[in-house]
Amino acid sequence: MTKQTPNANSGHGQPEVARLSNRHILGIEGMSPLEIRALLDRGSYFADHPADSGSTALRGKTIVNLFYENSTRTRTSFELAAKRLGGSVLNIAVAGSSVKKGETLLDTATTLNAMHPDILVVRHNCSGAARLLSQHVDAAVINAGDGRHEHPTQALLDALTIRRRIGRIEGLTVAICGDIANSRVARSNIHLLSTLGANIRLVCPSTLLPAAIDQMGVDVYTDMESGIADADIVMMLRLQTERMAGTETPSQREYFNLFGLNKDKLNRAAPKALIMHPGPMNRGVEIDSAIADDVEKSLIHIQVEMGVAARMACLEAVSLGAA
Amino acid sequence: MTISRFYNAHIVDPSQSIDGIGYIDIVDGKISDLQLGTPGEHDTVDKLTDCNGAILAPGLVDMRVQSADPGAEHLESLSTLLAAAAKGGITALTCLPNTRPVIDEASAIDSLCLRASRIGGPRLSAYGAATKGLLGTEMAELGLMADAGAVGFTNGTTAIADSLTMRRLLAYASMLDRPFIQHCEDPSLTENGEMNEGETSTRLGLIGMPSEAEVIILDRDLHLVRLSGARYHVAHISTRAAIESVRRAKAEGLGVTADTAPPYFLLNELAVSTYNTAFKLSPPLRSEDDRQAVIEGLADGTIDAVASDHMPVDRDAKTQPFGPAAPGASGVDTLLALTLTLVHQNHISLSRAIELLSLAPSTILDIEGGTLMPGAAANFILFRPDSSWIIKGADFASNSRITPFESHPVQGVVDFTYIDGVQAYPPAELA
Repeated sequence: MTKQTPNANSGHGQPEVARLSNRHILGIEGMSPLEIRALLDRGSYFADHPADSGSTALRGKTIVNLFYENSTRTRTSFELAAKRLGGSVLNIAVAGSSVKKGETLLDTATTLNAMHPDILVVRHNCSGAARLLSQHVDAAVINAGDGRHEHPTQALLDALTIRRRIGRIEGLTVAICGDIANSRVARSNIHLLSTLGANIRLVCPSTLLPAAIDQMGVDVYTDMESGIADADIVMMLRLQTERMAGTETPSQREYFNLFGLNKDKLNRAAPKALIMHPGPMNRGVEIDSAIADDVEKSLIHIQVEMGVAARMACLEAVSLGAA
Repeated sequence: MTISRFYNAHIVDPSQSIDGIGYIDIVDGKISDLQLGTPGEHDTVDKLTDCNGAILAPGLVDMRVQSADPGAEHLESLSTLLAAAAKGGITALTCLPNTRPVIDEASAIDSLCLRASRIGGPRLSAYGAATKGLLGTEMAELGLMADAGAVGFTNGTTAIADSLTMRRLLAYASMLDRPFIQHCEDPSLTENGEMNEGETSTRLGLIGMPSEAEVIILDRDLHLVRLSGARYHVAHISTRAAIESVRRAKAEGLGVTADTAPPYFLLNELAVSTYNTAFKLSPPLRSEDDRQAVIEGLADGTIDAVASDHMPVDRDAKTQPFGPAAPGASGVDTLLALTLTLVHQNHISLSRAIELLSLAPSTILDIEGGTLMPGAAANFILFRPDSSWIIKGADFASNSRITPFESHPVQGVVDFTYIDGVQAYPPAELA
């Protein structure tokens, strides 16, 4: 069980270490509001004390970053988070590794397991890969993105970013815009933000809308202007350029026209609306450069900063095992 | 001339509408007599077997089996397949052309059937590949394969996508008086698909295959059947919409039949929730509403037959993330017990279960079996429908041990399988 802890921003003491009922972090779905809040409280504390948190949860522990997909920001964010907690980090990028020579995911897992890492951070292009790994290794597994399924630490860092800027999540209207069908970021955010009481809207072309998504308690819009009307947060998702070449949508030009975020469309949102993007951005495709760089409105750089803090909270929590 | 008599048996033979205690006599591998009641005390018979009230029914006819042999014998050899089938109460089975090499010419059919007959046990027949190499484009030598004994034609685990090719295949199969067996799945709607499309696929982030992919191919084919007059059979039907189409086509009088397999009436897509690849099947597990429709179709006669859909899959191909894992599962060991679940749940009668498993498939494919009529080959089984057991893939007689029913409790145990009056299971040396 987890205990709800006082907000770190109060300045008095530090929130308790988050304890989770599961020894792995494979997704947000199934996490309790208490667990999520405990991770956010702890993350907020780490955001205030990046280098002087006093936590040495990972001292003497080995964290392996196993990345089957290229990633700069998530991998370095995990690496930095682990090092700040005193852990030793081993990065395994698939390019140039034995995986390219045909070794299966589970053989790699078995090999790594023999080295007795304490925490395995895994990114894979297949949905369910993190769970599969967790069933075959002794280490605690943190899902750093599995296919189209979940990217729990991204949702936690997004929530942390929102909470620190606005002070709450409950009651906010969050519009998630872009390639919902293929986005693990969208799924994790839907679970997390709705668990904490936000109203979620999805805005995307009908061809990028997954089946029965309305069953997940969201409102669906295929018109950008009404979708972001009065929204407090506009969260843009990346759209792979090959999906804009006549398959899912006709062209980049048409996509930006209908679903790209520019100043005109943003004027429909709430006056103080904030913009988020998990990166990497396609400037001029899903988001206008001027908006992305607007320090008043864009939270994009804060998201990156919060990434380290949120991951410190996750690494610390799994290092303690299931509560 | 020796007479073997099996008496005190609960005989279930839907071909003669028989369901009661009685006995059968066997002479020269054929049934010479079947009578209800108790045999006379002064009858002269050479061998008497007291069945102790066990069910005596025609052996199962499994109309959809994938043999890994030839081509992937490390997964399962023809002899383990036939032994497992006999243990499962199957006395005849029909193999898909999806072997390596593909069964797309007469010699491949000859070879497979000849090898099976040397091994003995269940009677093996085969479908001929509808197109060369199962590639879906060039018509294979259907006529020569029909002469060699092909009981029907199919493109195996894929549908014929091209409508003109399909039209010609139906016309040609009709000329040869063989049914066409279609795996109804629109390939363009299901390309890269990982599971049934719906809320579960969205939650799991798996690529969905819409259930409409089944009825789209089926409805197109039904129009082509009207053009050609062919006999058309839908394999492993799994969706409500397709079942309703078959129901309408039958009412119209088209020569359409359908089978399904146990996963489609016992499981639904929620089973995939843990990404367990044993539940990755083709077609994919569907919604609960579809499952209910399959049961209704089995009960009301829209679906004619139940087949095992046995497919040996390499364990390595299943210990993968769900997306790249291979579809398919073992089936011959569990076909009878899983189908009897419908009897125990009062959806169908025992007689209807035997019809689905035996009479109907032998009628559709025009192969021996499915009856205890005097004069017919003595292919029959003795089983206890209420005996319970827990399904464990590790205990299968088949070398293919991956099952979506691992740890499921079932009822129904085959005690004996006889083929041409000879005990095929348990193997004689163990008896």
